[in-house]
Amino acid sequence: MSEVVLRADDLAKTFRLGFFRKRIEAVKQASFEVRRGEIFGYLGPNGSGKTTTLKMLMGLVFPSRGRAEVLGQPVPDRQAKRRLGYLPESPYFYDYLTPEEFLDLVGALFDVKRAERRIRADRLIERVGLSSARGRPLRKFSKGMLQRIGIAQALMGEPELVVLDEPMTGLDPIGRKEIRDLMLDLKREGRTVLYSTHILPDVEMTCDRVAMIFAGRIRSVGPLSELLTARLLSTEVCLRPGAAGLPELPAGARKSENPDGLVIDLPADADVDAFLRAVLAAGARVHSLTPRRESLEDLFVREATSHNQGAA
Amino acid sequence: MRRIQAIAWNTFREAVRNKILYSLLFFAVLIILSALAMGNLTLHEEIRMTRDIGLFGIDAFGVIIAIFVGVNLLYKELDLKTVYTILPKPLHRWEFVLGKWLGMLLTLAVQMGVMGLVLGVTLWLQGAHFDTPMVKAVWLLFVNVMLVTSIAVFFSAFSSPFLSGFFALGCFMVGRSVPDIRALAAKLGPLAKTVLETGCTLVPNMHLFYPSGAIVGAEEVSVHRDFVGASYLLTTSTYGVSYSLIVLILAMLIFRKRDFV
Repeated sequence: MSEVVLRADDLAKTFRLGFFRKRIEAVKQASFEVRRGEIFGYLGPNGSGKTTTLKMLMGLVFPSRGRAEVLGQPVPDRQAKRRLGYLPESPYFYDYLTPEEFLDLVGALFDVKRAERRIRADRLIERVGLSSARGRPLRKFSKGMLQRIGIAQALMGEPELVVLDEPMTGLDPIGRKEIRDLMLDLKREGRTVLYSTHILPDVEMTCDRVAMIFAGRIRSVGPLSELLTARLLSTEVCLRPGAAGLPELPAGARKSENPDGLVIDLPADADVDAFLRAVLAAGARVHSLTPRRESLEDLFVREATSHNQGAA
Repeated sequence: MRRIQAIAWNTFREAVRNKILYSLLFFAVLIILSALAMGNLTLHEEIRMTRDIGLFGIDAFGVIIAIFVGVNLLYKELDLKTVYTILPKPLHRWEFVLGKWLGMLLTLAVQMGVMGLVLGVTLWLQGAHFDTPMVKAVWLLFVNVMLVTSIAVFFSAFSSPFLSGFFALGCFMVGRSVPDIRALAAKLGPLAKTVLETGCTLVPNMHLFYPSGAIVGAEEVSVHRDFVGASYLLTTSTYGVSYSLIVLILAMLIFRKRDFV
């Protein structure tokens, strides 16, 4: 098993808010490990405790219970912080600075020498595609540009572990793809990436392992391939019926229309071969046949539902 | 050291790019220059008027800027959430507070330097010069402003800018009036006397930083004649710097324990 670079052990956080010190349990129980070289997704709906967990790991919030280790050091150890980069959710930067000035400031906080800071800043500005905006103050940046400079600052210390809080939020599809590609590049470079999100297709495309948190409690942790059941849920057949019409549908099949013809959703136990033979014999033209297995979305909904039932 | 320096430099840069501070500086310069016109209303006391108005301008605007920027120094970082990006870097929280404070002092030093320069030019136009008593007076005002900044930062470590400003201004006004409050206390009953004396003990005596016209030892000191000596300058500066550092350390301790939600 690869080396553990981040360990959250029974983390919990209760805030006390307002005049009457009302208790808000933002995180009830979070235990998981992130291993070297992987992309780890931290999934959960809005308000489930993702950001609070990451803030505890970054030393911004003190846990009410439990402990966390980053790169073998208890949080918030300065030596560990030297080896990690963090992008907060909806990042806010000093908007009067230019990207060069901002990266120079961040580099200085990592004790990087001036000449080296300049080299790294140039390289990162180039890497995140902001060369044409290098002299522009950050207040004139769009959301996507800010996210990119946020990634650049997270990489300024050449970290082993990169922690990104909701890096895709507010980005258009191109921006999301760029961030996904960047995360995969970081993985290829041997870095470890932990990121939180509720955008499930991104997770399916990038993550080796995930943890799911609902209402402050982690429900599942593991590789996607292990968490998703391999069993067939249904088979979707898209076709255009022939002159003879459709043969009788198997029990439990559902029919709907789309611009290209019909979509027949066959249950998992249906005899797909027999059905195909019958529709072809009736002169139908089959456009596609898609076996549907459990997706991350199905798992997410399943876990959320089971959590809600448990809570009820 | 590089990390503290980086935070301090960034704080200074932020202030330099803040237009409100330029407005305050503009008004301060205007007040100093107004001494030229006010001097004409006096009979052969133009230079005295310029010195008094100039020092008042430097003092008042130094304190206003210290409170205005000081109370926002940490609050703004929390409000704009820039602290979320900076504190996860390999930086101690106390280094962050110290860096912000040093950056603020640099800003105030430059601002007071500019005001002093304008005052010097004004005096020069009147055939006088910015002599040693004036240098000593401005230095004491700077130590006072350092103390006010620390107090403002201390309150802003746990309170809103409005309340922090209110408390910091209150401390300044009480601190500047310590001799008057003590004189008043001497005339009151034991309970009122105890309350006022306790207040005067807790709040730094900021009257020490504006001694012109006061009795120091057995002598009356004045920037127009004999001003305070090196010994007064040293003890008062040590008092001001020590008080500032103690208050700043308290601010650091509060900031160290804060959750950044």
